[in-house]
Amino acid sequence: MANKTLSRRDFLKVGGAAGGAMLLGSFVAPPIAQAARRLGSLDANGDGYIPTMCEMCVWRCGVLAKVEGGRIVKLEGNPEHPHSRGRLCARGQSGLMNTYDPDRVLKPLVRVGQRGEGKFRTASWDEALDIVADNMLKIKQNYGPEAMVFSSTHNLSQVQFENLLNGFGSPNYGTQRSLCFNAMVTAFSLTYGVEEPARNYDEVEFILLVGRNLTEAISTSETAELVEAISRGAKLVYLDPRYTKTAAKASEWIPIRPGTDAAFLLAMIHVIVSEELADCEFVKKYVLGCDDIVEAMQPYTPQWAETITGVPASTIDRIAREFAAAKHKALAHPGWRTSNFINSFQTERAIATLNALSGNVLTPGGCLAAESPEAASIGLGKPPQPPYPRISALRLDGVPWKYPLVPLKLGVFQELRDAILSGQPYQAHGWLVARQNPVLSLPDRARTLQAISKLDFLVTVDIIMNDTSWYSDVVLPEASYLERYDPLHIVDRKIYLRQPVVEPQGEARSALWIYKQLGERLGLGDFFQYEDEEDYIRQQLAPLNLDFNELRIKGYLDPGVAQEEREIVFNTPSGKIEVYSETLGKAGFSPWPTWEDPVYPRPGEFYLLTGKVAQHTQFGTQNNQLLHKYQDEPRLWLHPEPAASLGLKDWDVVEVTSQVGSVKVPVKITQAIRPDCVYLTPGYGHASKGLRTAYQVGANASDLHVTYTDPISGGQALSQTFVTIKKA
Amino acid sequence: MKRKNHYAFVIDVARCIDCRACQVACSVENHVPMENTRIWVQDLGVQGEFPNLQHIFVPYNCMHCEHPPCTEVCVSGATYKDKDTGLVLVDQDACIGCGYCVDACPYNVRYLDKKRGVVDKCNACAQRLEVGLEPACVATCIGGSRLFGDLNDPVSKASVALQNARNIVRLDYEANGHDTDPNIYYINLPNMEQLNMPELFQPLVSQSGALPRAPKYTLSEQGWKHVAVPLLAAGIGASFLVQAIYFTKQLIEGEKEFEE
Repeated sequence: MANKTLSRRDFLKVGGAAGGAMLLGSFVAPPIAQAARRLGSLDANGDGYIPTMCEMCVWRCGVLAKVEGGRIVKLEGNPEHPHSRGRLCARGQSGLMNTYDPDRVLKPLVRVGQRGEGKFRTASWDEALDIVADNMLKIKQNYGPEAMVFSSTHNLSQVQFENLLNGFGSPNYGTQRSLCFNAMVTAFSLTYGVEEPARNYDEVEFILLVGRNLTEAISTSETAELVEAISRGAKLVYLDPRYTKTAAKASEWIPIRPGTDAAFLLAMIHVIVSEELADCEFVKKYVLGCDDIVEAMQPYTPQWAETITGVPASTIDRIAREFAAAKHKALAHPGWRTSNFINSFQTERAIATLNALSGNVLTPGGCLAAESPEAASIGLGKPPQPPYPRISALRLDGVPWKYPLVPLKLGVFQELRDAILSGQPYQAHGWLVARQNPVLSLPDRARTLQAISKLDFLVTVDIIMNDTSWYSDVVLPEASYLERYDPLHIVDRKIYLRQPVVEPQGEARSALWIYKQLGERLGLGDFFQYEDEEDYIRQQLAPLNLDFNELRIKGYLDPGVAQEEREIVFNTPSGKIEVYSETLGKAGFSPWPTWEDPVYPRPGEFYLLTGKVAQHTQFGTQNNQLLHKYQDEPRLWLHPEPAASLGLKDWDVVEVTSQVGSVKVPVKITQAIRPDCVYLTPGYGHASKGLRTAYQVGANASDLHVTYTDPISGGQALSQTFVTIKKA
Repeated sequence: MKRKNHYAFVIDVARCIDCRACQVACSVENHVPMENTRIWVQDLGVQGEFPNLQHIFVPYNCMHCEHPPCTEVCVSGATYKDKDTGLVLVDQDACIGCGYCVDACPYNVRYLDKKRGVVDKCNACAQRLEVGLEPACVATCIGGSRLFGDLNDPVSKASVALQNARNIVRLDYEANGHDTDPNIYYINLPNMEQLNMPELFQPLVSQSGALPRAPKYTLSEQGWKHVAVPLLAAGIGASFLVQAIYFTKQLIEGEKEFEE
């Protein structure tokens, strides 16, 4: 058994095949090194920097990978990329350990023991792909294509994954979105006609972050901009029941009662509109609902909000005035993971409204742009493909027949899981999971495992043996992000490339290759009309007449698209910012941002809060030894007051119990949390013994999370789980 | 005699978000074994009572002292203060791994690399400086907290940051007539007027032997997390002084005229 820890010096010993290739490197360079030498990125010894793109989270920073003799030795932030600007966060810096993880799956695996027993044999790609295709086709033949579920999390190859499921004819697609940003995206789509408006910190003077923990949930450039703005003297008001590291940088931390953010924000709106503090001209011209908003917001006085939020009315009143006074230099951040309570959609609608009132959307230098940060009128090409087959089956996740307003592409993942379990409205039989770990990410792990037990076939595509792979029938090893190409990415009107900087280890292959191979075996070859990864990208570049080699040398290309000057029309039914939304009204919901009273814990219960640490991304990085090295042990945060009444000392192990499960975890007694809350960092408590660094480290929050779905946005309410605590 | 360079770290405490990108970058750049670290971010802990709290993070590493105690105890001459740059460096080919310097360092920023049998510590990424790059920790610092530069150069990032600082603090060490005169300058401490400075920095130089982060670790029996926080008690009778330094022109010119 290999040593659990791996020193940098041991890198050279790991991965026999790749190591062997490296030793020969100076004589017979592997193809990637050969190509990089030809392009001038690497010198004759195979040393140098190759530009590519990070994938340790979804922010996609530009990377300069330093390569020596066929090994990655350091990653730098690419100064030319707007997301990194020369910097990488802890996760980005650790990225080479993602590639050199001693627990990489390097050959296709086929299960030989019971599910979850962890017994696999290796197989050739041909055999493994044949097994997967045979099982999928059998399910299609016996139960229809809809009996096959597909799921994958935010990644650049997703477009080809979607070809696989749409070509196959299944409507059942699970993404992480309902566990993450459904509330934000649905609210901003309805209000502004844009999924995720871009933020602009250049001139910001007043920042309102509603649970957006930007210094721990890091988006490199945005986090840097926030710190810069604070250093410049911008005011930061931060709402969070927990004193996070963002709270530590805030001018004002408001430890609001969980689930009541919307009440706070509605009262701010009340103050601004009833005292006419907003930019009236702007509001009248661009905002739908400005005539009646005073009346609609009439009940939401600061005094009313005080009783709900626990925040003094005078504080809310003052913050409303400060926000309004900053005019277009105020920013109410839309947030990101907004899956907290079933009223989180209303929180987001209120945030959207506050921004509309500030005039920041349309004023030059304003802090919010009603366009997606990735929007650009660059007409990339795409391999030709036939139209998708018509799909008539209902979606198992209830969109739109149960959730009429949830955007189709967002879906309701937790509902999909429940439908697999219930067999309603029909039984799913197979599940293809790519680069995703639903066993850990979905609420209520026991329920997810039960759902999996109802399947005839489960296959995962991943680089390590994550928890879902552990329960799979076949595991297909993907190349890491430093070993493969992905389709191109557009940021700020430029085209960025992810390209391999080293050979894939073992028999790992890119997602583009895996999906194509599988597609061909499923009779869907027409949806995968590219020779290989480079051909795919050449087809993307073809209509723009851009040079692939230049792209590989620089890591990006500027097609010279000017920023469009166009008349301001919002992509909503009225063409205005819809603070008043008829779409919502017609679907039977309040057309105005409104207050929905959340559920409150009973005496003796605590809110179970979830969140982030800066060293990890969700559920996929805990096995990275470089990150493990510099993380704190995950503990349950608890305020000293309840700790005293429960007779608990720091580091005591406690049993935490919710309606659906129970975990044991040491407590961290801290002033940094409200007395009615506890907090546990998610992503720990891995069950897969194939993750030797992460296995059984910490407790798994999804063992505790109860499944609650917001009927409007489909978002899972992750902070709506209540727990009791006792000494273990 | 004036050196060619007077390299120093300047750390803007207000900008540190404790994300630890610097630590990972350093570990990778410098081949630091998994059980060791060359640089730290000292978490001073959440202070105050709910909801009036304060949380400060203090990055640190070798202070590249003007008068380093480590060089004086080195029997092989491996540890030296570079004449041109002022950096305190270890010639690992000459190091015999006796560990005297590890014990002598009042800041506990050196470690014995057991596998190689040599002492290792922050070298300000001298290998990067040679090719015109900043130290790895500085280059990747998300908040722009870590700065590095030549104080002999009035327009270096470090000099400019000192010129514009709201306040400047150093962690000086004095014992038995020895004064380390460190080259990490902390700037822009928040709420400086309200802080009890020596108390604030107490955990950095804990006399009690208590570790600043709980000594629990979860991965390997080798316990590298345990060693990763080697802030053991300083020598008996030694005392650290937290100096508030007010910027003077002489400082930039490398003449050591500090007011305490």
